[in-house]
Amino acid sequence: MRKEAPLLITFVVALIVMLSQVTTGNVPGLGISMPVLFERYISPWMTVVSAFSLCLASVNLIVIHSRNVSRKQPEWIYSLILLGSLVLYGAWCTYVQINPDNAAAAATYSLLYNNILSPLMTGQWACLAFYVASASYRAFRARNLEATVLLVSAILVMLGATPVGGVIWSKFPVIQRWLIDVPNMTGQRALLIGAAIGSFVACLRTMLGIERSHLGIGGGS
Amino acid sequence: MDLMTRLQNVDSRVIYVILLIALSLPLLFPMGIPMQVDPMVRAVYDIIEGLDPETDKVLLSMDYSPGAGLDAEVSPVAVVEHLTQRGIKWVAISFGTPDGPMMTNRIIDSLEQRGYEYGKDFANLGYMAGEENAIRLFALDCLSVPTDVRGNRTADLPVMQGIKNVKDFAFVMQFSSSGPEMWIRQVVDPMGVPFATGTVTVSVPAIIPYYHSGQVKGIMGGVSSAAQYELLCNNPGRGASLMDAQSMGHLIIILFIVLGNIGYFMTKDKKQSAGS
Repeated sequence: MRKEAPLLITFVVALIVMLSQVTTGNVPGLGISMPVLFERYISPWMTVVSAFSLCLASVNLIVIHSRNVSRKQPEWIYSLILLGSLVLYGAWCTYVQINPDNAAAAATYSLLYNNILSPLMTGQWACLAFYVASASYRAFRARNLEATVLLVSAILVMLGATPVGGVIWSKFPVIQRWLIDVPNMTGQRALLIGAAIGSFVACLRTMLGIERSHLGIGGGS
Repeated sequence: MDLMTRLQNVDSRVIYVILLIALSLPLLFPMGIPMQVDPMVRAVYDIIEGLDPETDKVLLSMDYSPGAGLDAEVSPVAVVEHLTQRGIKWVAISFGTPDGPMMTNRIIDSLEQRGYEYGKDFANLGYMAGEENAIRLFALDCLSVPTDVRGNRTADLPVMQGIKNVKDFAFVMQFSSSGPEMWIRQVVDPMGVPFATGTVTVSVPAIIPYYHSGQVKGIMGGVSSAAQYELLCNNPGRGASLMDAQSMGHLIIILFIVLGNIGYFMTKDKKQSAGS
């Protein structure tokens, strides 16, 4: 029953979702259509599950990092900082949500967010510019035909995407546009269609119970 | 080590310092390099220009975090500035990240300081968990979010009057650091709502097929699109100020790539002649 019940739920829910996309008439005996059944009874559950998964992620973080701190594992101080930040942010945000009229608490929360978390995250992103510069210098070598095509395309796109490219030669933006609109789009469409077919097959395997790894009871047959 | 070998092995720290100088100087001494406006950016501008401030409202899905940097943050500021200039009311909600409401609050704070009224001109409905399902749920019933981030009842907000489902918005725009696939699947295709997207520069190539199919009416990709948008609005701001730096950064990267390849080919020729 531990295997059959989750598989049955998966099958029934997946069937409702699939049928809700292709049928419009009422389900015999229920008096409502498949789309309504899905949107009224199945879809809201996903929001609940997603919200729950956020809680689960927090609990997981607390368990792992508390263990690091209690066992004084290497770099445990970072785990302590993470736990402190998590508790401070979580508690403060909860207080702000419960007391929306307390403007001072909301302002302080924004202050913490805008002046500590946000600059750290933005700084991390900005550092990528330096890594990308160094990595492209080392990786973009015209070693063979494929690498040369990649190298030339990259330079043309970089020049066309910035104002200075248009100043150097007015055709750079035109060439960049063509590269994005024609070869890029062809490749992207092929990827999208391939991924969509792959997703459909994976969904079908899950629905039919061939793929069971998500239930923690082993892989496919 | 000869010069050609050195050209292939420039220390990373040297590249970092030169890039830092190339990025900093234009910020201190702007050059004002002229820009061309991309048709995808103009499309977003034209849609907003075509809206009626008396009747039309816009929904903004703010699905980006500070982790995507200024590349994601400048476009929504430019678009909201345009909406404000035209007196068009807007509502923001987040599905992609819990950071979204905080990012919206930053924009709202600046508008409130200039006298615009929360609840009447705009509202922030906060974060709704559930991603794709949440988008669908909200699209079918916009009052499924009971309160906004300030604890006001969504149904009581003046800006939400007349809004029942997403079709009541004249235009929907998503700002994220990834793609708009979830919106296309759940709202654009089944409900036929005019939709555009703002994203980081690296995500633009993946969204292009949706633009050419007409599912996405316009794309704003990173700082350069924001700068072009500011130019269209005659309101140069943060985006425009960053474009000279971006140009210089790209030139430096290209210069190092070219130098590395010159070194590679020169030493390759030497090795070949030594081997023969």
